[in-house]
Amino acid sequence: MKFLKAAASEVIGLFVGDWTQTIVSIVILAAGWLVVSRIHQIGIGFIVAVALAAQLVIATRLEARRRA
Amino acid sequence: MGTQLFTFGAAFLGSAVESVEALTIVLAVGLTRGWRSSLYGTVAALVALAVLVVLFGQVIVARVPESTLKLVIGTLIVLFGLRWLHKAILRSAGLVAHHDEEKSYEETISELKGAVRQDWVAFTICFKGVFLEGLEVVFIVIAVGGTSKGLPVAVAGGLLAMIAVAATGVVVRKPLAQVPENTLKYAVGIILTSLGTFWGVEGMGAIWPLDFVSIFVLAALYFGASRLAVTMIRRPVLA
Repeated sequence: MKFLKAAASEVIGLFVGDWTQTIVSIVILAAGWLVVSRIHQIGIGFIVAVALAAQLVIATRLEARRRA
Repeated sequence: MGTQLFTFGAAFLGSAVESVEALTIVLAVGLTRGWRSSLYGTVAALVALAVLVVLFGQVIVARVPESTLKLVIGTLIVLFGLRWLHKAILRSAGLVAHHDEEKSYEETISELKGAVRQDWVAFTICFKGVFLEGLEVVFIVIAVGGTSKGLPVAVAGGLLAMIAVAATGVVVRKPLAQVPENTLKYAVGIILTSLGTFWGVEGMGAIWPLDFVSIFVLAALYFGASRLAVTMIRRPVLA
């Protein structure tokens, strides 16, 4: 049972380090999906990538502040 | 060809990092409690992991439509890659201590000192250690291999890294503390986040300019963002 719990938390931990960051990333991807399905412009995916990169910078900065 | 290169790279580097961590556990158990049960535990875990790769790999490649696969697995790869990248940034900036193989080794040895039923304990610790460390490798291999239609390439990358780390462990017989784990995790984080974004957005129905060449642009973007984050939050390196 202990091993199964460890395996389950390991599987969730594969994708989630910080729930807020994970939810923000999913929201960015969902918004990207909405935009991409309406605007068929080559290279529009870079906007999603820029948003994810900005989210990464902000999330690490917030964590640094929390740890300070 | 370019995508396959990224697939191989992600599987190889990801497997190398996790294999180093698994090797530390197996070495600690094997050298203190004997090799027989330790190796049985290791082999049992590797068989369980191989079954997962074959089962889920086949299901993903054969049953899931390509656009769904790209969207769902791409999203999961992005989340996975961002998590590794996030940790790597915090370590590079000195906010989190680097993973110390020698410390993990000592901790495993001290855990074993109180154990009575030697063989069973050695088997269980090796099985648990190798299986849990290997789950991340299984995800990387299935996700990048399945989505790029290059499962054999991803499996080869994962296996080669594992064999290289195991062979080095047999020769040196001590934890591989010199392996730059954070740098490897950093690289895997960037590769996976780039591949995940590339496939996820393709699954949404978008087209990338110059096809796979865009992965390099994405990698440069995420690398730039991560360096910016490190610069913004940098602290003196923790011991």
